[in-house]
Amino acid sequence: MKINDYSKSREEYLRACKVIPSGIYGHQGPAEGCYTPVEAWPLFSSRAQGSYFWDVDGNRMIDYMCGYGPNVLGYHDPDVDAAAAKQRQLEDCVTIPSTKMIDFAELLVETVASADWAFFAKNGNDVTTLAVMTARAHTHRKKIVFFKGYYHGVSPWTQKMDYSGVLEEDVMHNLYVEWNDFDALAELFDRYKGQIAAVIGQPYMHGNFKDNELPADGYWQKVRKLCTDEGAILIVDDVRAGWRLDLQGSDHYFDFEADLICFCKALANGYNVSALCGKEFLKGTVSGISYTGSYWLSAVPFAAGIACVEKMKKLDLPKILNEKGKKLGDGLIAAGQKYGFDLHVSGMPSLFYLRLADDPSLMLHQEWIAECVKRGVFFTTHHNHFINYALSDEDIAETIAVAEEAFSVIRQRHPKD
Amino acid sequence: MKDARTMAYINLFAVLGAIPYLCQLDSASAQLIAGKSVSIGFSVKGGPEATLFFGGGQCRMVPGTERCQVKLPFTSCEKFNGLIDGTVTPIPSKGFTKVGFLLGPFTKLTDRLGAFLKPAPGALSDPEFFRVSTTLMFHVIAEAIAQVANQDTIGQFSASNIVDGTAKLSIAGGPAAALCCRDHRLTAVHQAPEQFLSYMEFQGMHLARDLFDGQVNAIAAVGLGQVRIGGMISQIDNINRILDRVAVYLA
Repeated sequence: MKINDYSKSREEYLRACKVIPSGIYGHQGPAEGCYTPVEAWPLFSSRAQGSYFWDVDGNRMIDYMCGYGPNVLGYHDPDVDAAAAKQRQLEDCVTIPSTKMIDFAELLVETVASADWAFFAKNGNDVTTLAVMTARAHTHRKKIVFFKGYYHGVSPWTQKMDYSGVLEEDVMHNLYVEWNDFDALAELFDRYKGQIAAVIGQPYMHGNFKDNELPADGYWQKVRKLCTDEGAILIVDDVRAGWRLDLQGSDHYFDFEADLICFCKALANGYNVSALCGKEFLKGTVSGISYTGSYWLSAVPFAAGIACVEKMKKLDLPKILNEKGKKLGDGLIAAGQKYGFDLHVSGMPSLFYLRLADDPSLMLHQEWIAECVKRGVFFTTHHNHFINYALSDEDIAETIAVAEEAFSVIRQRHPKD
Repeated sequence: MKDARTMAYINLFAVLGAIPYLCQLDSASAQLIAGKSVSIGFSVKGGPEATLFFGGGQCRMVPGTERCQVKLPFTSCEKFNGLIDGTVTPIPSKGFTKVGFLLGPFTKLTDRLGAFLKPAPGALSDPEFFRVSTTLMFHVIAEAIAQVANQDTIGQFSASNIVDGTAKLSIAGGPAAALCCRDHRLTAVHQAPEQFLSYMEFQGMHLARDLFDGQVNAIAAVGLGQVRIGGMISQIDNINRILDRVAVYLA
């Protein structure tokens, strides 16, 4: 198989470092992206289509990160792009909003089980922040409970006291509890009686560097009841998992109802829009919060979002994505077994997490992932992956073939005793 | 932002704790302790205690002051930190017969240590001075990481997120250290570990120096392959957060 060359990516990275802090900041950069070793990964893309992107060196990558989630139907989905193009000819960012905003809100209220209203912004962080502000405004309480291993964005409240630029005061009302440990959560509510405004959680634990963990039987139902009994708001951060588990919301998938649910990523197949949806009793509270942004009511992403949600509903997309993910996961596990490796695939198949369990340090896993990436399959070493609708059976077969060759390389490097 | 107690732990175990490495790396320092057999204990009320043992041409630091010959008591962490800043003159509570070593060779040793840790302009252009200075800085930083992780409130928070196991810190072609994490407490071992859960390696002494001096951005250096990280990267991630705190204390 061809081994990718990334000479132009390296050149561009040097150029970027001169004018952009750390060259590429954030999760799409080589440091936070945990590119180990960095030479195995492309750094800049030039175009994308379907389930692929091409880097600046012309290497085609089968993309299992999907822009870290937004690409749910395939890059340049014709239906979504057509709807966006049609709207762009009319208007986008204007002084007063388009009625597309109402259309989109109606669609979300009709689609999402726990939605009586929708509020739009741009990024996931915008709406998780609004959710926490709403909970505090409604309850007049300060404390927020997080599940350890969480990610809810980048605002200071979502970060930790040891993060650069974050003050202890920014996070002094954050409380932390282990995922799936209901007793610990109940104890926290006892200890901070009448002080907890909200519990915020992703629908299941998709923390990094470890297997993703689904909720224990009855866990969410107990959390729901506890929040109701204690007068706290239950916030589901469905930014990452949303639309890949259940089109009615991941809370619906796990058979409970959130008070507030946050969407972004797959909501509009890459067009930049996020949404906070919630129950009727919180609508007035949200109305009273001063919260807005220059591009939040732009019409093109609304049109794209409408087309995306309608297409996902028409396809019953989560079912398809989970089937594709299962097929891929089974193939990868079998490829590993062929060379004596114990590959664990965890989380939902539509956003699967990979870990070679043969080495707790993850170094072997990092070697294997790097060999896959060098051969044109874009995996990451630390994060869950994403399936998109455009991913074909041929793509899956090619991925498994690449994975198999990568396993063979690793086995040669690390012979069995 | 700085806590005097944490600073005292850093000053004792990381800064004065670098004297053994100074005596190994620097021939002038080695000559100062040649033929000497003496131990100096530092006892800080409400803070750390340790003894520097000199003998056989070598130096080592051991926690506690039970076996010291010369004892320097400090009534507070602030007073001890004043010793390192040069604003406090210590008075021994025992070992007056050995006070000559304290006032002579030991003072010269600490002056020499200061010269390497806070180099005068242009001093680093001498390759040997550069090597000794950068190696000492590495050991000071590695030890300071452990002290901040164990003593500083924010450092303790970072350590609370570190999984058990050893992280290897190293400079290619230079020194290495192991940061051993157990139950969210860190211990620095100033040699390369045989086995480790994660690693962070600097490409070379010059890059390490630039990073220590804040001349190079660590995140960009990872992207450029100048800093290699791997294994259980969450360990390295949290150690880097502690490193940010170390910089506050050592600034």
